[in-house]
Amino acid sequence: MTLLSHHRMIRFVSLAALCCASSLSARAEDATFVQGENPYYKSNKAQLDKVLAQVPNVKQAKNVILFVGDGYGVATMTAARIFEGQSRGVDGPSNKLAHESFPYSAISRTYAHDSLVTDSAPSAVAMTTGVKSNNNMLGLSGDAVWKDCEKSKGKEVTTIGEIAKSIGMSVGAVSTARITDATPAAVYAHSAHRSWENDAVLGDQAKAGCTDIANQLVTFKYGDGLDVMFGGGRQNFLPETMADPEYPDKKGLRKDGRDLTAEWLKRYSNSGAYAWNQEGFDKIDPKTVTHALALFERDNMQFEADRPKDKGGEPALADMATKAIDILSQNKEGYFLMVEGGRIDHGSHNNNAYRTLTDAVAMDKAVKAVLAKVNLDETLVIVTADHDHTLTITGYPDRDSNILGLVKERGKIALADDGKPYSIIGYGNGPGGKKDGAPRADLTNADVTDPDFVQQALVPLSSETHAGQDVAIFATGPWAHLFQGIVDENYTFLVIDYALKANERLAAHAKK
Amino acid sequence: MAGTLLPSPWIAYAAQVAEAVKIRNLWGDHGAFSDVAQSLNGKAVEMRGYMAPPLKPEIDFFVLTRIPMGVCPFCDTEASWPDDLVVVYIDQALQPVSFNDLITVTGQLELGTKTDEGTGFVSRIRLVQSRFTRV
Repeated sequence: MTLLSHHRMIRFVSLAALCCASSLSARAEDATFVQGENPYYKSNKAQLDKVLAQVPNVKQAKNVILFVGDGYGVATMTAARIFEGQSRGVDGPSNKLAHESFPYSAISRTYAHDSLVTDSAPSAVAMTTGVKSNNNMLGLSGDAVWKDCEKSKGKEVTTIGEIAKSIGMSVGAVSTARITDATPAAVYAHSAHRSWENDAVLGDQAKAGCTDIANQLVTFKYGDGLDVMFGGGRQNFLPETMADPEYPDKKGLRKDGRDLTAEWLKRYSNSGAYAWNQEGFDKIDPKTVTHALALFERDNMQFEADRPKDKGGEPALADMATKAIDILSQNKEGYFLMVEGGRIDHGSHNNNAYRTLTDAVAMDKAVKAVLAKVNLDETLVIVTADHDHTLTITGYPDRDSNILGLVKERGKIALADDGKPYSIIGYGNGPGGKKDGAPRADLTNADVTDPDFVQQALVPLSSETHAGQDVAIFATGPWAHLFQGIVDENYTFLVIDYALKANERLAAHAKK
Repeated sequence: MAGTLLPSPWIAYAAQVAEAVKIRNLWGDHGAFSDVAQSLNGKAVEMRGYMAPPLKPEIDFFVLTRIPMGVCPFCDTEASWPDDLVVVYIDQALQPVSFNDLITVTGQLELGTKTDEGTGFVSRIRLVQSRFTRV
């Protein structure tokens, strides 16, 4: 018997066996799909249909808006989704924030050049330059040396703000943190230390040729300078001899005697504007103003929860973002705008989940307001975080539990092994941690939903730290489909650059 | 009759029922004192908060904050005081507690700008003749 005939024999025997088996029993039963009308299934069938209908937009982007929720990790996004829904009296877990309807997303690896866990400086630099840098540094490669101006010379990397202005686009940044703080500063500044926000902090390093971040903002040399800068940080722009307009008993921090707000107005004369409160902000006319600087606080702007009580009055992040677009969109060459929810991060540093979530919701409102304003056919909108925090959502709480509440299971408060209740949101570390063997506080009678409640933490630290896990990127508009899979945080810059053809235009511009 | 049995001002004020008030409710819009604060001015109140690390040893006051005073090494070059703090003057030597221990303070509410003579620390809302306990 040849090998071939042997195989034929086996096949024949097998077919015969199948034939007899099927003739001896009834036809095998088929499953019946019964959950076609289940609401969970139906809502996700609609999602599937939406994805199937998606057509990538491959037009060159005219504008890019980069939303950065500072410290807005995935767990915080989940908590914010629940909080926002519950605040409106609807189901929290199935609620959707604005970015959740974006068609494309990716996971972002946020580690810094020199650290497993990034701070906001290199993480913003990654997104605005395409390279990872060291903690505490702005606009420099990882070869630069922290706090050393001389050794950091020549290590500068070019920011998206510099490229965009060079090719005739407009550039803006709005933030609820100081406009000289790391995230917005990554749009325009180069600094071997993120804290060199004014000349007093820069100190002797000025002798080596470095300048402070506020100075870099007002003297930005590319194109006709930065177009829209809204945020906090007024103290870095005013001299130490000048009383603050909102807090007259306090003064500026600058030792060089310069009033950078006056310099801004002088530089832009008829087309410039400066505001420090709501009234001044409302007066900025987007039809006539091309260069607007607004500094609403000496330091960071108020948390969203505290904003209504602000002495001078402050706009919401959504108001700043939409006004920025009104101004920037006057330029037919397009614009790059960073919108930072800067204090989501600060709430978590304080282990104060309430302010973290109310600021996250304020950013969501800004995303919604921006989406209602821009043409997604020509505007790439990205929503992401620069890094995570140690916030976590724990226990097995009942579905309708208040996200700020204690863990309740089947209506009963769940007790930990120490016999005490615990809150749904907790932190890995921070001021909510007890030291020297002090026992965990008994929350039985605590108002854990109070806006000032400090969530409990495992490790005691005066300020809660960032966390190193990956964060998410959501995108819609031209070339948003380039966000897929797991990417390094600096990949975001490459997508922005590609969508705008920014470097290509820069090369062409240089030849002119 | 009761008045004759209360020789010191502290006991006089402590005999009042301290009304509980939240720190954040002491301020109204645009940095003004709230109606609640104005109605309680000069009266015994109780509030909860955190003791910021004392400015120096052997001091007779501390700063009470809504949330613990932490310094984020990346966000701040130094601790910046929140706008809505309460300065608490105590009668006895201060025994500091950890900045993240929740405390209950009772004292007499005092409104208006005042500069501390010893430190130059400026406050707008104070509790005087105060006592505190850890929660």
